[in-house]
Amino acid sequence: MGELVLSKLDKVYRSKRTSVHAVKSFDLTVKPGEIVALLGSSGCGKTSTLRMIAGFEEVTSGSISLDGRVIHTLSPSQRGVAMAFEAYSLYPPLTIGENIAFALKAARLPAAQQQILVKNIAEMLEIAGILNRYPSSVSGGQQQRASLGRALVRKASLYLLDEPMGQLEPQLRAVLRGRIKHFLRENNCTTILVTHDQTEANALADRIAVMEGGVLQQYATPAELKARPANLFTGAFIGEPPMNIFDAKITAAAREIRFDIEGGVSLAYPVSDFSPDVQRLIAGRREVALGIRPHAFHIGNGALRGKVISCQWLGDQTHVAVDIGGRTVVSVSHARVDKQPGNEIGLSALAADLHIFDAETGRAVAHGGSPA
Amino acid sequence: MSQLAFSNLSKAFGSFKVFDGLSLAAEAGEIVVIFGSSGTGKTFLLRLIAGVEEPTTGTIEIGGRDVTEIPPEQRNVGMAFQNFALFPHMSARENIASPLRAAHADEATVESGVSRVAKLLKIDHVLGHAPRELSNGQKQRTALARALAAEPRILLLDDPLRNVDAKLRFEMRLELPRLLRQSGATVLYVTQDYKEAMALADRIAVLAGGRFVQVGTPEEIYMAPSTLGVAKLFGDPSINTLETRLSADGMWVAIRGKDIRIDKAAKLGGREVILGVRPEAVALTQSQVGLPATVMAVTPLNERVVLLLESDGGWEFLASLPSAAADIPEPNTRLSVTFAAEGVHLFDPTTGERLHG
Amino acid sequence: MDHTSTFERILRGILLALVVLFFMFPIFWILLMSFQTNESILRMPPSVFFTPTFDNYIALVTGEMRTAAGSLQLNFMQNLWNSVLLSTTSVAVALVLGVPAAYAFARFKFRLGEDIAFTLLSFRFAPPLLVLLPLSLYFKSLGLTNTYIGLIWVYQLICLPLILWIVRGYFEDLSPDIEHAHRIAGYSWFQTFRKIAVPLALPGIAAAGLLAFIFSWNNFVFALVLASADKQPVTVGALAFVTASGIQYGQIAAAIVMSVIPTFVLAMFAQRYLVEGLSLGAVKG
Repeated sequence: MGELVLSKLDKVYRSKRTSVHAVKSFDLTVKPGEIVALLGSSGCGKTSTLRMIAGFEEVTSGSISLDGRVIHTLSPSQRGVAMAFEAYSLYPPLTIGENIAFALKAARLPAAQQQILVKNIAEMLEIAGILNRYPSSVSGGQQQRASLGRALVRKASLYLLDEPMGQLEPQLRAVLRGRIKHFLRENNCTTILVTHDQTEANALADRIAVMEGGVLQQYATPAELKARPANLFTGAFIGEPPMNIFDAKITAAAREIRFDIEGGVSLAYPVSDFSPDVQRLIAGRREVALGIRPHAFHIGNGALRGKVISCQWLGDQTHVAVDIGGRTVVSVSHARVDKQPGNEIGLSALAADLHIFDAETGRAVAHGGSPA
Repeated sequence: MSQLAFSNLSKAFGSFKVFDGLSLAAEAGEIVVIFGSSGTGKTFLLRLIAGVEEPTTGTIEIGGRDVTEIPPEQRNVGMAFQNFALFPHMSARENIASPLRAAHADEATVESGVSRVAKLLKIDHVLGHAPRELSNGQKQRTALARALAAEPRILLLDDPLRNVDAKLRFEMRLELPRLLRQSGATVLYVTQDYKEAMALADRIAVLAGGRFVQVGTPEEIYMAPSTLGVAKLFGDPSINTLETRLSADGMWVAIRGKDIRIDKAAKLGGREVILGVRPEAVALTQSQVGLPATVMAVTPLNERVVLLLESDGGWEFLASLPSAAADIPEPNTRLSVTFAAEGVHLFDPTTGERLHG
Repeated sequence: MDHTSTFERILRGILLALVVLFFMFPIFWILLMSFQTNESILRMPPSVFFTPTFDNYIALVTGEMRTAAGSLQLNFMQNLWNSVLLSTTSVAVALVLGVPAAYAFARFKFRLGEDIAFTLLSFRFAPPLLVLLPLSLYFKSLGLTNTYIGLIWVYQLICLPLILWIVRGYFEDLSPDIEHAHRIAGYSWFQTFRKIAVPLALPGIAAAGLLAFIFSWNNFVFALVLASADKQPVTVGALAFVTASGIQYGQIAAAIVMSVIPTFVLAMFAQRYLVEGLSLGAVKG
């Protein structure tokens, strides 16, 4: 329910010989009731950030405030934060039910009320049947759900979820994602979710903070991250299967703008497909990195011609890999596509689906017809 | 004649049966995926075929020859392990060369054999490295190269993409079919990722409870799962289910008080069923014919969007739409849904068997 | 976070120095003694200053000991040779027998396997004195008394259990998949044992062999009872310096130095293996 503000947050780990700058001048505002994901691969600084917010790690410089109250100087228990741990950290001598009720008991809630709260959370997480069992006697997925339950059952100003769904049974995952998102929204919970799994982040978060090398790369909604990645890193990182990225030479003529791609193929578009701003941005450039998402390709007779490497139908989508000029280009269709490996096909993409990045800096220049 | 066949294969440890009466025949060059969740004995099955474990009963034939009693080194199989199992004290080159050397090939043959598979798998630049100096992806490719080096007739791949990162796994999934076809070997491929199974298989054998519950093409398995269990294993999100009853004419199904038309087999009329609806078969409509429901949550899933819906009677189910679809509803929207017939399956409530063609 | 203060570091240094001093001092003192005459060793108060002499070593090597009471024949060099022969051969025999056995215990589950392995280990628990009397009787009737073969046989009581248990732990730590992969690549089980299992367990085998060597080298009781002077190792041979005319401390010291050198050099050389081998293999086994 609180607003969380991280400002100029830094974390440096020092040892005798080396010092590691894990988080660099990190600014982030999470609005009350918002679900925000910190997303990045291991070592990107997301876990250090989470531990600083929870109070397990000291802040090197900068500040953390929650509801207008500076909290980074307080002990973890004074911060009003509930957390679900990646390693579950359930208390082994307590049953699953007692684990979930632990904080409620400490807060001296009436027993009847405790029971109702625990029962509701347990039903949502499909663990109502194992409340009397001990953590060691249930599966990893059940332990993880219990750990989530223990965090969500509390009333807190901020919920911290560290890789909360990594061990969940695949058949339950989609339903639980939906239920948890519904729960967090109904209860207006301000939530920070730390994960390396973009599927998780996309499904649950209102906004995603993409981190790499301790630096915030982009902070935006899932849809924005896909449509308008700020740089080549986020462009390549977000999206599954990942974006196809080509080194392209631009030729801007009077009528058309052409992208010559390695391997002797090219994509050409009428100038009118690009806004005047984009035309101006492109005009001075010769080389760019051109990104096209697999879903943006139209499979048929486009200009990007090549032999089919593989065509794999997965039930609700088809992945077609094409050898274009010696490299593998991936396209995805929601429909069922039947192409024999070895046959030649052509791919095309609309100008609106092109992502143009600076070849040197990797910064986005334009997305589709409009400037970045 | 099939290249690989086993029949009535069983393995028991004391009274614990790993599997019971497994039979399968695979043609030359066919890719058969053994699919099942963890702990179903998939890996053990490969070990039986490789010959490093012995079956309690049953026979294994390779190329028409009964090899049940023959030791692994004489079976002419190649195998890649989930944990790679590279020989740590040998270079990548020697690892790959080991099956060729075992066959007493001369130096020139070994050299050309190693460079052939190394090129194919794009590891020719790291052949001099010891396994510990290789990245996970290179280890995995070295393990595959070693399995392929002696051009075995049978190739056993034990979840080879399990221990590599998601990006590499995806790339290898696209590359593998071509590689395997080139080898010409009959492939048994073990995985617990249904997407991998569907992407790679000519046929999938679903292993559960110690037996093959269904053997068929990816299309057969996905479009006509033989049991509720199989239906649940294939698909992300998993299939929606509801215990219910068909109308007397078999055309309607009751969903918590509301009758929905499903146009399924008339001869099943009036009986108790488990209704299964694939999330991608759920269509949103404005019309009144459908099932009224409320959107509880909207969760994007790659290039699709998954909706958690609750029908007026309180049935919770999922719908999966392409994210490019024009109108993705907001949470708490009221709407109606209908089910596309090819995504609707009916199962027996007690046995879980499929009830229609 | 590093909490070590300067005080703690100094204290730690001092304590470590004390421990080293405590353990190294006897060795250092023996080394000094070996270069002194009996008189200078026995003077009061003892001193680290003296005129060094090589007499003790010369006496050992030439085999002639001159004492106040006259000259005495010594066969220390024979004893030293016996020690080398007995320890090396015993360890070699134990490795040849023990490594395949360890592999069998690690890889194949067979009836009574655990019991046999434990029985073999229990030989290490039994005090040697317990078996000495029956052994000496057996040896007499078998004609093994005072033979190298007899001693090497008895030394297996020391070496075999050690090698079996340490090496077994090592084999158990190897992934069976690696051996399976080798079998499938086209090699027989024996080739796999030779080319995969043994090379990969080599640190453990080396550590076990070294330990067995040291234990055999240091053994005293078996050789004392079961062999006479010409087959006895240095541990027993050192008794000869306790003569009628007194104890020859200088020569004892020199003999100790010479007999310690082989094991000392071996241990230094293979220190890494030893620590690794003991902590990795044996603890798990």
